[in-house]
Amino acid sequence: MPIRRSRPVAVPLLAAALLLTACGPGDDGGGGSSADGKPEGRITFQTWNLRANFKDYFDGVVRDFEQKYPDVKVKWVDQPAEHYAEKLSADAGGGTLPDVVNVSPDLSHPLARAGLLMNLDKEKAAARFKDEYTPEAWQGNVLPGLSGAYAFPWYLNTGPLFYNKALFRKAGLDPEKPPRTYDELFAAAGRLAGAPGGRAATLASAPAIEDFGRYGVRLMNDDATKFTYNEPKGVELLGRYKELYDRGGLDAQALTNTPEKAGQKFLEQKVAMNPGSAHDLETFRKNAPGLYRDLGITDAPNNTGKPNMYVMGLAVSEKSRHKAAAVAFAHFVTGRERQEEFAHKVAVFPSTRGSLQDPYWTKDDGTDAGRVRVASARMLKGAVNYTPVVMSDEMKTVLRNEVAKALQGKKSPRRALDDAAAQSNALLERG
Amino acid sequence: MSRRTHRALSPWLLLLPGLAVVAAFSLYPFLSTVHKAFTDARTLTPGRWVGLENFRALLEDEQFWVALRNSGLYVLLVVPFTVLLPLLLALLVQKRLPGVAFFRSAFYTPVVASVVVAALIWVWMLDDRGLVNGILGVLGAGPVHFLGDAWLLLLSAMALTVWKGLGYYMVIYLAALGNVPRELHEAAAVDGAGALRRFVSVTVPAVRSTMVLVGALSSVAAFKVFSEVYLMAGPTGGPAGQDTTLVMLVQRTGTGLNGRVGYASAISLVVFVITLLLMLLVLRAGREEDA
Repeated sequence: MPIRRSRPVAVPLLAAALLLTACGPGDDGGGGSSADGKPEGRITFQTWNLRANFKDYFDGVVRDFEQKYPDVKVKWVDQPAEHYAEKLSADAGGGTLPDVVNVSPDLSHPLARAGLLMNLDKEKAAARFKDEYTPEAWQGNVLPGLSGAYAFPWYLNTGPLFYNKALFRKAGLDPEKPPRTYDELFAAAGRLAGAPGGRAATLASAPAIEDFGRYGVRLMNDDATKFTYNEPKGVELLGRYKELYDRGGLDAQALTNTPEKAGQKFLEQKVAMNPGSAHDLETFRKNAPGLYRDLGITDAPNNTGKPNMYVMGLAVSEKSRHKAAAVAFAHFVTGRERQEEFAHKVAVFPSTRGSLQDPYWTKDDGTDAGRVRVASARMLKGAVNYTPVVMSDEMKTVLRNEVAKALQGKKSPRRALDDAAAQSNALLERG
Repeated sequence: MSRRTHRALSPWLLLLPGLAVVAAFSLYPFLSTVHKAFTDARTLTPGRWVGLENFRALLEDEQFWVALRNSGLYVLLVVPFTVLLPLLLALLVQKRLPGVAFFRSAFYTPVVASVVVAALIWVWMLDDRGLVNGILGVLGAGPVHFLGDAWLLLLSAMALTVWKGLGYYMVIYLAALGNVPRELHEAAAVDGAGALRRFVSVTVPAVRSTMVLVGALSSVAAFKVFSEVYLMAGPTGGPAGQDTTLVMLVQRTGTGLNGRVGYASAISLVVFVITLLLMLLVLRAGREEDA
């Protein structure tokens, strides 16, 4: 008997094709609720790697908010540091973006462009809080190509640069005078590379976009449509890094090191300087007490007088079913009182108007932490978020790979940066 | 319901749960990938039909050719080892020697170990101040920058893949060797064949079909390699991305909030077609040998 094969095969194929045509990504039609109404309902609040150190603080914030707004219930979720963008894209694609979500401007840009975040300037219920934040912080969340701010300004961080005083002494450098400009950095690197008996490199990573910014390179044109880091100043910086790499001033694995690996190299005292965050202090104290005793803390060198600043914000989902509650909560967390309270717990800075005039950030209390805090707060006035908002992870990888080719001598610095800018501009054009 | 309809429907009803799972988690994603390969879809936008544009862009993408070269090299260099070494290992542990059970388990341990853990251990061993360079230092050589040089990194990742797969393929060979008649070996020995001759003329022909199977399985796995290279060379794919493989390129271009899903789907489709060709090639080679 002949076997009829076509129909049995066709059934699942057709069913799958039906799924394909029906389930493609697209607008789910959900428009969210009104932001003007009374705050009520269940909302989700997502932070970025904060549970481990600040669980009690956030539990307290949620408790206080729920007391103030008894009709609102807040579910707090926290995501690990790695792959946060992937987590956000999965949530956004699945229509499950949390009502209030912790973002930096480069993360909020694609979400806002896809219409998934609330334009705070256009939403009266949110725009009325604008004057509570410093104009720079609010402006920091205004995205190029989109009119308006898409996140409430939250904490600011300049991120300290740690250095190993013992390695400085060994190289004959003054451990109390870390390099403040790139000229000083490259001069110090020369001494460190020639230190007797030392195999320590100066830095564990190749230059990234922030380094170009701090060096004074123009990164993008004014309307953020073209990368310009291949201008002569950028080529000059890469040329100097190439010399540093050739002299052994960069770790041998600098071209492949991730920030975590770079941190590990510093911990093992294989490199003399490494950027980090306040969380690292505890790690040094526990895992490398020898290093902790000889730890120097300073700002990353810059030629512009403006340190790099990381900006954190809280965005409200445009699709939220409880927008009024979400706006109220985002404002509650980023309001002056909460921000100052949070900034007392960890070395970050509030973005609310008038906060940095508080003696806590203006008067040196004689402790190491106090000295760093006051110095950093002063620097914050002119600080800039150097990472262009439109620069995607893929564009950062393009730059990193071309920089690596220049350092290896496979391309001249000029050619490498021209190629990186051309590839990134092509990606930018495709949208 | 007539008995005839009942008989016609019953198998389908029984198959339905399984088919639903296959349709949802294999067929739909596959068809969706094929569809997206011809669009400019992004992570957050569905995209529009662009015809062969993604494939045209692929041909001009330097990273694609680097990735294709690396994935191809992975097959060429890893597969011979994963076909031959486990066979030799299986012959070794097949012997009834005291304590051989321990060695069988020891050789199989890397298979059950997480690839992340295994790769981390290898990274520590191959670090500039790791175990391997420590030993080289004692011998007055080195240090060798295993993790800083693109070629050494790729070769190290290949070594990890071979080491991790040895036990798995060894077990497959052990099963096949159990079916080789002892009389054949005895007859060959009586005819004066030495160990090497018996291996070439008796063992290899007897397990040839298993070798083809192992060749097919390992070449597909090698072509689609991701974890070992990603973990050892880092997310950028080694210095200047020179160790990127095709699947890593899919991951890099297609994920994140700005992911180019259409372009990544086009690369996936290329990987699928090449894998299919690879399988057919190996199976055909096996059939020709048998004929």
